[in-house]
Amino acid sequence: MTKVVEISPTTRHEGHSKLTLKVNDQGIVERGDWLSITPVRGIEKLAIGKTMEQVPKIASRVCGICPIPHTLASIEAMEASIGCEIPTDVKLLRVILHAANRLHSHALHNILILPDFYIPGTETKINPFSKEQPLRSVAVRIFRIREIAQTIIAVAGGEAIHPSNPRVGGMYRNVSPRAKQKMADLAKEGLVLAHEQMEFMLEVIRNMQNRGFTDVAGKEIPIPRNLGYHNQGVMATAPMYGSSSLDEKPMWDFARWKDTRPWDWYMGEVTIDLEDPSYPIGGTTKVGTKANPRMEACNTVPTYDGQPVEVGPRARLATFKNFTEKGTFAQHIARQLEYPNCFYTILKCLDNLDTSGKVLADHIPQGDGSMGWAANEAPRGTDVHIARVKDGRVLWYEMLVPTTWNLPTCSRALTGAPWQIAEMVVRAYDPCVACATHMIVTDEENRIVAKKLLQW
Amino acid sequence: MVSDPYLGKYTTCISARSTDREILKKAQDGGIATTLMVYALEEGIIDGVIVAGEGDLPWKPRPFVAMSRKDILKAQKAKYNISPQISWIKEATRSFGLDKVGVTGVCCQIQAVRKAQLYPINMRDVPGKIAFVVGLFCMENFLYDSIQAIVEDHTNQSLSSVKKMRIGKGKFQVYTERGNVATAPLQATHKYGQPGCYVCLDYVSNLGDISTGSVGSPDGWSTVFVRTRVGNDIWSKAVDAGLFETKPIEEVKPGLELVMKLAKIKLDGNRKTLEERRNFGVNKALRDPYA
Ligand SMILES: Cc1cc2nc3c(=O)[nH]c(=O)nc-3n(C[C@H](O)[C@H](O)[C@H](O)COP(=O)(O)OP(=O)(O)OC[C@H]3O[C@@H](n4cnc5c(N)ncnc54)[C@H](O)[C@@H]3O)c2cc1C
Ligand code: SF4
Repeated sequence: MTKVVEISPTTRHEGHSKLTLKVNDQGIVERGDWLSITPVRGIEKLAIGKTMEQVPKIASRVCGICPIPHTLASIEAMEASIGCEIPTDVKLLRVILHAANRLHSHALHNILILPDFYIPGTETKINPFSKEQPLRSVAVRIFRIREIAQTIIAVAGGEAIHPSNPRVGGMYRNVSPRAKQKMADLAKEGLVLAHEQMEFMLEVIRNMQNRGFTDVAGKEIPIPRNLGYHNQGVMATAPMYGSSSLDEKPMWDFARWKDTRPWDWYMGEVTIDLEDPSYPIGGTTKVGTKANPRMEACNTVPTYDGQPVEVGPRARLATFKNFTEKGTFAQHIARQLEYPNCFYTILKCLDNLDTSGKVLADHIPQGDGSMGWAANEAPRGTDVHIARVKDGRVLWYEMLVPTTWNLPTCSRALTGAPWQIAEMVVRAYDPCVACATHMIVTDEENRIVAKKLLQW
Repeated sequence: MVSDPYLGKYTTCISARSTDREILKKAQDGGIATTLMVYALEEGIIDGVIVAGEGDLPWKPRPFVAMSRKDILKAQKAKYNISPQISWIKEATRSFGLDKVGVTGVCCQIQAVRKAQLYPINMRDVPGKIAFVVGLFCMENFLYDSIQAIVEDHTNQSLSSVKKMRIGKGKFQVYTERGNVATAPLQATHKYGQPGCYVCLDYVSNLGDISTGSVGSPDGWSTVFVRTRVGNDIWSKAVDAGLFETKPIEEVKPGLELVMKLAKIKLDGNRKTLEERRNFGVNKALRDPYA
């Protein structure tokens, strides 16, 4: 008989979300909904009428882990709308920023997922804050990678969290020769650490794949071979940076995208009738509680060719590098494989960077209301911003962020998982739920579906 | 360690001047600020410093991040109008890529540095990257328009031919390139003072690692307070390296007594202004940042 269990809130990812799960007698998910319950902030609606300079700075504040993608995608959507070509050294600085942000983000995610994993060959789960070796050195390495990445972002982008340097038409400042050298020195140090960290993580993930079961709250939970499999396909616009409607050959197709309501994809009202007070830490939702994912989801559901898709590192490798594995562990593996290339990219861009080159377009048109979009391959996947700019002001603005694409996809990928490890499936998407909850959800009559939440 | 209610905390006070002829030629006083920063740069104590360089109008300062001796020398001489030094403090650690930042400026600017170090509000990385701070004595400052009025109207000189300005002996003194000296009584300049300066309770840059000014020492010499461990370390090494001629402050005229007298005038006067702000309105006060 089908029962409903709910994990709320979920933990060890960015933002606020929950899992409402229909499970069979064995506790295996028959149908799961993973939804954002982060209060809606309505960035896209409040952007309307504001200047094209201001909106990217607001969009950056959607998320403090990936502010770089939002800043860059937003600025480049404005540039695409007004038809502004940026100088070469701008592009180089932006790619440096971008690659460094991916590094710090992946490293941070290591900290979040490691407690699900075991020290290879042992029955000891990894506590990344343990003072014992080898974990202490792993943590120190992760912190150093993040410190290096954040420093590079701060130098090239003006600020590690919410970069100040990028602007419509270019950057405010080029860097000094000293700053360029500093970034190169840091990247060389980081490259060695990134290789080590990647090898370590791959070993830990492979060990998990071979275990067959894991311990949750003292119970042995089997790990299915096909954990996290889904048939939604993938979407990616570039292995590293992204694409925009200004490109000769744009890598994303506006016409294939359609925004839909959670109504069409999520379950209706259910009543929780399975509860496990031992679920770490604090138990699951109380029996008798009503849940309604259709109404409660604070995310929309963007579709590509009419279906939710997976975005992120695995999507990038599958699209551009013939990576064929799928599921939870393949997602983890793909993410680790992105480490070294970020540092190689930074070093290559630094080689080409002319520190006396100009960093602002000579002419910045003010826009005639044309639609422009820019896709940035954020750490968590394709982040598309779409804008219409007229006379320097934003007429229309839309953000299709990675975790929004992934929410319904991941929900489908929950099927077949023991509910106790549903969160492991979720974490393989490296969710960023604040990112996914920046918009106001409206239904076909343009009624605000999330209004109930806004009234809290 | 001396702890003086008017002159702040310091380990030593000396009268000094640079032994670097090139620096002395264009220095405001003893060339202390410039010599110290050049030395700190060459020794790797700092890798860049915020100084008040030339702006786009004559005698209008423009703060910038100097990363070479040549650039530090471009900031010689006191410009008696506002130079927003601290506007570069964060950027110095960003696109300039500095790890050890030097700062020069008047008392209030040094206060800003210390506050950013202890309470960094959107000042990430700044606290740990401030390496050396040289503060100037400062009685009051002016807006550019005011300095224009003082020089062009009261001393009747054209700003673009001025070589140096000084405040001393109760006069605002202007020296021109072609050898003229013109003065205006300080009394006449008071109405031009920047209003914000009248609540300032710091005369000799109490929070600098080292502070320096002209008062107390003879022309061409500076009065120097060595205050912090950082300041002490740099000062003694620089003196050992022969960068300064020094005299105990007790042996020079007018010496500390005059510094003390002027500090009292400034601080006591401005305390009164602050007091008045408390009773500015009827049953209402103006804000007191020290409250
Ligand atoms: C507004 C102002 C008021 C002053 N009032 C007094 C006073 O009342 N009594 C007194 O004894 N001395 C005062 N001084 C200090 C004095 O005039 C000299 O600046 C000081 O002695 C340094 O001389 P120096 O030869 O060591 O400097 P130099 O080696 O010539 O170097 C000049 C230094 O001053 C800095 N500087 C120049 N203009 C400004 C500015 N507007 N704001 C911030 N920094 C600046 C430069 O960055 C540089 O580091 C004042 C200075 C200023 C700028
Ligand atoms: S008097 Fe005080 S507030 Fe005014 S410029 Fe000098 S140090 Fe700053």
